[in-house]
Amino acid sequence: MRTEAAAVTLAGAPRSIGRWRSLFTQESIATIAVSLIVAAAVLLPLATLVVSSFRVLDDLGFSTTWGLDNYRLLFTDHVIPGAFVNTLLISTGSMVLATVLGVSLAWINARTNCPWREKLEPFNLIPFFLSPFVGAIAWHNLAAPKTGLINALARNTLGIEGHLLNVDNIYGVIWVTGIFFTPLVYLFVVGSLRRMDPSLEDSARTTGAGLLRTTLTVTLPLVAPGILSGAIIVFVTSAGEFGVPFKLGAPYGVETLTTQIFTKAVGDDANYYLGASMSMALGAITAFFIFVQQRYIAPRSFTTVTGKGFRPNVVDLGRWKWLALGLNLAFILVAVVLPIFCLVVVSLHPVWEGEIILSDITFRNYVKTLAFWRTDSISAATNGIFNSFILSFAGASIAMVLSLVVSYMIHRTKGFGSRMLDLLCVIPIGFPGIVLAMGVLVTYIKTPIYATLWILLLGYITRFFPYGQRNISSVMLAISEELDQSSRMAGASWITTLRRITIPLLKPGIFAGWLLLFIIFLRELSISIILYTSGTETLSVGVYYLANFENESLTSALSVAQTVVLLACIVIFRRMAGREALTA
Amino acid sequence: MENEKATPPYLEVNGLVKWFGADRAVDNISFGVERGKFLTLLGPSGCGKTTTLMSIAGLHGIDGGDIRVGDVTYTSFSKKLFLPPEKRDIGMVFQSYAIWPHMTVAQNVAYPLEIRKIDRAEIDSRVADVLRLVGLGDMADKLATQLSGGQQQRAALARAIVSRPRLLLFDEPLSNLDLKLREQMRVELKRIQNEVGITSVYVTHDQSEALVMSDEIIVMSKGRIEQKGGPHEIYAHPVNRYVSNFIGVANLLEGHVIRVTSPGHGEFEVNHGNERVILPCCLGEGLKEGAAAVLSVRPENVEARRKDPGTPRLEGEVLEAIFLGNCVDCRVRWGAFEWKVLAHPRDRLRPGERVFLHLDPDHSLAVQP
Ligand SMILES: Nc1ncnc2c1ncn2[C@@H]1O[C@H](COP(=O)(O)OP(=O)(O)O)[C@@H](O)[C@H]1O
Ligand SMILES: [Mg+2]
Repeated sequence: MRTEAAAVTLAGAPRSIGRWRSLFTQESIATIAVSLIVAAAVLLPLATLVVSSFRVLDDLGFSTTWGLDNYRLLFTDHVIPGAFVNTLLISTGSMVLATVLGVSLAWINARTNCPWREKLEPFNLIPFFLSPFVGAIAWHNLAAPKTGLINALARNTLGIEGHLLNVDNIYGVIWVTGIFFTPLVYLFVVGSLRRMDPSLEDSARTTGAGLLRTTLTVTLPLVAPGILSGAIIVFVTSAGEFGVPFKLGAPYGVETLTTQIFTKAVGDDANYYLGASMSMALGAITAFFIFVQQRYIAPRSFTTVTGKGFRPNVVDLGRWKWLALGLNLAFILVAVVLPIFCLVVVSLHPVWEGEIILSDITFRNYVKTLAFWRTDSISAATNGIFNSFILSFAGASIAMVLSLVVSYMIHRTKGFGSRMLDLLCVIPIGFPGIVLAMGVLVTYIKTPIYATLWILLLGYITRFFPYGQRNISSVMLAISEELDQSSRMAGASWITTLRRITIPLLKPGIFAGWLLLFIIFLRELSISIILYTSGTETLSVGVYYLANFENESLTSALSVAQTVVLLACIVIFRRMAGREALTA
Repeated sequence: MENEKATPPYLEVNGLVKWFGADRAVDNISFGVERGKFLTLLGPSGCGKTTTLMSIAGLHGIDGGDIRVGDVTYTSFSKKLFLPPEKRDIGMVFQSYAIWPHMTVAQNVAYPLEIRKIDRAEIDSRVADVLRLVGLGDMADKLATQLSGGQQQRAALARAIVSRPRLLLFDEPLSNLDLKLREQMRVELKRIQNEVGITSVYVTHDQSEALVMSDEIIVMSKGRIEQKGGPHEIYAHPVNRYVSNFIGVANLLEGHVIRVTSPGHGEFEVNHGNERVILPCCLGEGLKEGAAAVLSVRPENVEARRKDPGTPRLEGEVLEAIFLGNCVDCRVRWGAFEWKVLAHPRDRLRPGERVFLHLDPDHSLAVQP
């Protein structure tokens, strides 16, 4: 029946009738395989963690029985209940500080005529990329009672007895955590302030409402979901933060859940099972807040803000604009300039005693921490540099491949599998790195991957691939599905379509996500600290090692090295991804 | 109609069913298209047109029925057959055009040929030919993002026809264009389809598009077929109120068939206030004496006169008369009912005037309610 015109086509493609193979197409095999991998990676550690938390170690530390003793200890131990309270205090304090600063700075930058806004904005975001642990080390060097640079200066120039500032306490922990997480709130809020349809505010103004009233009754409610989201993320991230309380809290009697989990995971009185129960407690808190944020708050922030590129209303601050500028500069000073400056200064002294002595300046600390070819170099530091680059490169690459496939499944296939994957991708965000790492530890400690870089890689990817996935998803949502479908109709298989159409279109998102993960992995501490062993140190573990077993000067040298690499990544990131690529 | 059994249609959709969750998007529809013909699926948004098209394209599975083109079964629910979309040899034009922004126009159009592993020289000549056919001869090296909407439309069409597929599918391809361009593209698209002679299924919610372009039209509603027929047949002989209302403009009066005078002709009774008016008319299929029905009269078949015609006497008041150049679009109040009337400009009807309406019995059709 067919005439020639139709018959010349589809050379090579089988004419035969295909079987109903909906279970065995390329697409569904990939979906099932990826779902299983992701499910195993995410659920296995959490399940093992739950099981482990009910195993009770006997007094000799050899055998275990089942029971609730670990949970009882959460309330009766002489340290843990206090650590619990400290965690809540620190998270709440950091949240308040970061929210006040983040919202103010976002408003100043998005909506006022504050001078130099465009120039200052990138600096506001720098702490987002740096390591809070290094921030804590820097602030310790700035404001420790005896050796703090600021205190020494105050003693010498103002003649103050004792000290001016002290960050070696719970307020110091809150201070450093708060300023380092301010960019999180900033990013959540600045986007909605910029993209808000100005006519929403204009129409309030035309009804006779003044500026203040419009801000309070229209602007603020519209960005409220963004503010709330940012605040919750800061609370949860602070609760899971290990480096800052480890540096500024634990040595001075301010234990938190994370520092306690750490002591149960390493060292002589290690008790993984008690560590597991503490992880469960911490994970329960964070997962609850993330659930609330994802389920009830995040969806609302999109309905109020339109995606069009509006020119937002700008408020003329008059003379107050100098105050706004002052606030912004002060933030950059305390969060970026002072810490980095102090680290550099300390790193150039053989030992740090609170005073700058120009005649002592030396690069020996850099040689000892970076010059891996020399026999007097410190192997924890040099190993850390190598391992971190390997882990960051491999981790970011694998995670982005996984993210790509997962995003595709979520957005381009329908049904049960895609909804499952969507859920699986949120779960890791709900658990702090240290909690997930405890799960990975108890799951794989008896397997060959323990004590290799593989277990670190697994921990990194499991915890952080959702960030990559979000980056790709946001681009994928902007790309019409019809672009893929028309390739299928043109005769291309699923794989060919992915290779020739989907991936090329997603390139910007893939690259931005890759670099973000690279940066996150390069400074990662709380997973690494649980999973490393001698020989598999990472950069941040190297810093931890130096801080614990060597002196402040060596620690600062490696911190500066890490910071320089991270700053270089930020420059590349901004070039490639544009300024709002982070908000996902 | 009779010889359909002798030679089966080229594309045949039989008993197609598609569920989305608890929602029956397509509810047991069957139709066929002769080779080289142009069929339009017409209906309001959400009636299942895209779903039907996607089922033919193989972009989703189906929950019942069979789809066959020529001697190739595309999908058969009962025999558990499913040909993957890329093996179906179909050209498709999407609503968003879906021109790949990372390729030039020529690369876009060459893609289906590259997939078919045709050699480069032939690809180049066929791409050049088809771009000339759609009027994009000098745009080959432009990036898709540099094209206007109408040009993207042409590029999408070129890409769909370049491999001379068995079937062309169009999903509301003109709905993103402005009115002028849309009217121009209708004609152009039809010309190109004629030229390449590829059997086509076209989806639209725009009835005038369907009337202009189609060999046959299927009017759909809520996942079902209301009527299938040629443009003229659908316009002149709608089977029910729904089709009559959807295609063109019609005056729709509710009432009863009171008498069948001869096969296909009869009398229709409407309540007008207290009085009952009897109108001679044509009878649609299946209407018996006493059946509740709807009388459908197109505005161009209603005449407004100043002289009293006797019976049936439809006296009304002109509410509005809009001068459109070649005709006057009037609204005439008749009790609670408002007539739409297309009058001749020389009649010079004025708002407020009393007129008598005359219906042409040959163009007054009683249809199923
Ligand atoms: N992917 C889908 N998931 C769920 N429901 C759908 C999906 N696609 C279409 N529907 C539903 O099926 C019905 C028919 O849709 P569609 O075929 O797109 O209509 P049309 O193209 O005629 O506007 C609608 O009610 C629509 O909501
Ligand atoms: Mg549609």
